[in-house]
Amino acid sequence: MSLLAAIRPDDWNLALFVHILGAMLLVGSLVLVAMALAERDIRLGYRSLLFGVLPGWIVMRGGAEWIAEKEKVNDLDPVPSWVDVGYSVSDPMLLLIIIATVCAGIAARRQQRGGALRGTALALAGIMLVACAVAIWAMSTKPT
Amino acid sequence: MYDWLLFLHLISAFLLAVTVVIYSAVAIGVTTPGRTRFVADRCWDVGGLGTLIFGIWLALNLDQYDFFDGWILGALVLWFIATGLGQTIQRRVNAPDGTGDDARALASMHWIRTIVIIGLLVLMIWKPGA
Repeated sequence: MSLLAAIRPDDWNLALFVHILGAMLLVGSLVLVAMALAERDIRLGYRSLLFGVLPGWIVMRGGAEWIAEKEKVNDLDPVPSWVDVGYSVSDPMLLLIIIATVCAGIAARRQQRGGALRGTALALAGIMLVACAVAIWAMSTKPT
Repeated sequence: MYDWLLFLHLISAFLLAVTVVIYSAVAIGVTTPGRTRFVADRCWDVGGLGTLIFGIWLALNLDQYDFFDGWILGALVLWFIATGLGQTIQRRVNAPDGTGDDARALASMHWIRTIVIIGLLVLMIWKPGA
């Protein structure tokens, strides 16, 4: 499968490019969120979630669906486990992004310097970063 | 072996993306707190080294790629340009006597670096001539 990935058809390239570009924006913004919240800059953390993490997730997820359709991986029986890992990581992540954004947004509005809301958003950012690392591992090593 | 090399190469590329995203925030005028730029700079150092080492290792590991393929040589050229820009940005951002003109020049350098990194991604995916 990995060797196949190395010699994939050209018409898959744009979808893969969009998928990886979105994932890079997502991961980069998540690190910025984590750093901002850890340094108690809640406003920056909130804005990074809203204008970096959320758009990054949308582009990554859209690209994923696009390339999955081109590769027809969802038609395979059984669906490869690395595809399952991708879906199991990315779909719940949207919920975590929404929760973290709401928490950071409320904390920023209240001008809090700390507290449970900032801690929750920070913990969620950390969990999402670990989940992203797992997804990158699954996408690159393609375990069966 | 190929899978793990690709994983490490990809993780390194994501570290470069972390730096690009954080410095993009700086370039649009966001004041980043304390250690954020320090983390971005270390991500750049480790990511740059990782993409180069694991990228060359990957090229040598796979029979269908040759080190002297045009897209690999092109990627190496872009890597050196991005690294040069990155090191210059790091040095000038951390210099204590930065001016307004410097900030504009640094932002321009950062956006050029961002385009170079996207160019690298394009080369890695399309592999022209492979």
